[in-house]
Amino acid sequence: MAPPIETGQPGVIVIGETDTKDELSSAWNVIVHNDPINLMSYVTMVFMRVFGYPRPRAETLMMEVHNQGRSLVWSGGREQAEHYVHQLHSYQLLATMEKSAA
Amino acid sequence: MIDLNVQLLDEKRILISGIPAVLAAMLREVPEILELRDSPDARARLYPNPTTGNNTINQEWHQMTGPELRHLFVSAGETVTRDLTALTADKENAQAWQVAFPIEHVSAWMNALNQARLILGEVHKIDEVEMNRTDFDPQSAKHMAALRIHLLGYLLHLFVELDNTHEPENHI
Repeated sequence: MAPPIETGQPGVIVIGETDTKDELSSAWNVIVHNDPINLMSYVTMVFMRVFGYPRPRAETLMMEVHNQGRSLVWSGGREQAEHYVHQLHSYQLLATMEKSAA
Repeated sequence: MIDLNVQLLDEKRILISGIPAVLAAMLREVPEILELRDSPDARARLYPNPTTGNNTINQEWHQMTGPELRHLFVSAGETVTRDLTALTADKENAQAWQVAFPIEHVSAWMNALNQARLILGEVHKIDEVEMNRTDFDPQSAKHMAALRIHLLGYLLHLFVELDNTHEPENHI
């Protein structure tokens, strides 16, 4: 988000729009990180529930988390990424979002 | 031998039966464990940052989502705490316990069991090595925490398996 710009008028600021547009149009990645406690079967179930992935894809992503420490589980718009991260947090998975480098 | 079973009792109720005494005792401790959810370590785990480096987004996120998440976690704990008051001797096995509750409570049970496991993990600093331990010293609080995490996890896994039997059209 762009920093607010002071206008000189009391109580009036302008929020920069350029960065906001960039952020909304950029792709964002949703990353799930490994933790020692969550069950592999539970993580698979969460991926199926949150993203609607079929079991084979959910299991592949779960194994990526388990073996590589993290997995990129979804990419797309920022608002949807925030929604998914919130959902994953509600299931107590360690999830973050980051702007895609691509 | 553990003969723990999670099954549909009828269209509206779930029955956990064959609960060994040690797991019944651990289940009774779940409400107490959940009260630790506001300890600093547990908070950091249950309410993680949504980004790894953007403090502005992280702060806004916690203000926006923190109360809703906490309500979800507290509500799940309260549901399970109420259901546990019905924990009783197993009708089929004098050595075991059983509890029945409405099918709509399954999500709350999974949420609360996992919360308890994560809180134990944070409070006792349980890492991958501790989770792979197969010998447990009863005098070690850390070992006993790992054992609790495993046993509560076994019950959680049975709930996941029950969910799998209903995929994909009808999640419990």
